[in-house]
Amino acid sequence: MASDTDYDSDGMRGNGDGGLSEGNGRRRKHPFMTWRNNLRALVVDNARTCRIMESGLLDAYGVEVEAVGTGEAAVELIASGETFDLIVLEMFLPFMSGPETARTIREMGISCKILGIAPMYCEKDAQEFLAAGIDEFLEKPFTPELFIPFLMEIDNQK
Amino acid sequence: MDVMSQLQRQWLEHSAFLRKEGYLDDQFEQLRKLQDESSPDFVVEVVSIFFDDSEKLLNNMARALEQKVVDFKQVDAHVHQFKGSSASIGAMRVKNVCIEFRNYCEAQNLEECLRCAQKLQFEYSVLKTQLEYLFRLEQQIRAAGG
Repeated sequence: MASDTDYDSDGMRGNGDGGLSEGNGRRRKHPFMTWRNNLRALVVDNARTCRIMESGLLDAYGVEVEAVGTGEAAVELIASGETFDLIVLEMFLPFMSGPETARTIREMGISCKILGIAPMYCEKDAQEFLAAGIDEFLEKPFTPELFIPFLMEIDNQK
Repeated sequence: MDVMSQLQRQWLEHSAFLRKEGYLDDQFEQLRKLQDESSPDFVVEVVSIFFDDSEKLLNNMARALEQKVVDFKQVDAHVHQFKGSSASIGAMRVKNVCIEFRNYCEAQNLEECLRCAQKLQFEYSVLKTQLEYLFRLEQQIRAAGG
């Protein structure tokens, strides 16, 4: 059900928003949490507002973030050798959907935690997305209560 | 009471009003916490992007509902996306109308979809006005040395 209205599905690495932090190399000076390890996350969401919030929150909680607007851009980034501890992946991406992206990433041998995210919870969508290879299906908004437990788990396992 | 104190009081009262009346929820506080000295206009910038995207979505919804044969899946896609972005910044009333709207898209009930589209436009317009007032107060506080 990807919308064919293209709200910044340019695949560019978060450069379209005039200085707003979408991660992509910018780190907050005083994060709300610190970790034993350096944690890196990839946010894949075509909706600008959501992408900025997801990136901004992860950055605020001490995670190094890259953000892209399409599944294709995410796959390209990973194929280029970039590694991530966490991927936050919107289900309803245009062109290459969230499930297709998840499937492709898993087929590339990537085993990191993937959190699937969607505007609303739906059992059918959750089953489809989980079958495609995500680890958890979350409903927006993306909040610290939702993602901190995953960050703690990742940090403990590294 | 000096000008600064008056402005600050107005800002506090208006913020409290927006929470109490359900225009904004906890997620807006999460957004506010992301603003710091390195991104002093973060909230205004994110909300401006939200306004831009919302207006496009509302226009797309309206156009889709005007078609001779309404594609409810298309309408639903726009509403779905709007639910996501409104939830992400804490726009609670807008989010709740989106949730209601989706039910009518699924039922392919045109009359109720049109009613929801109107309600969504209304809630969005009110939210925009309220937030613009809040941001004007913030500007005035900064100008007064706050």
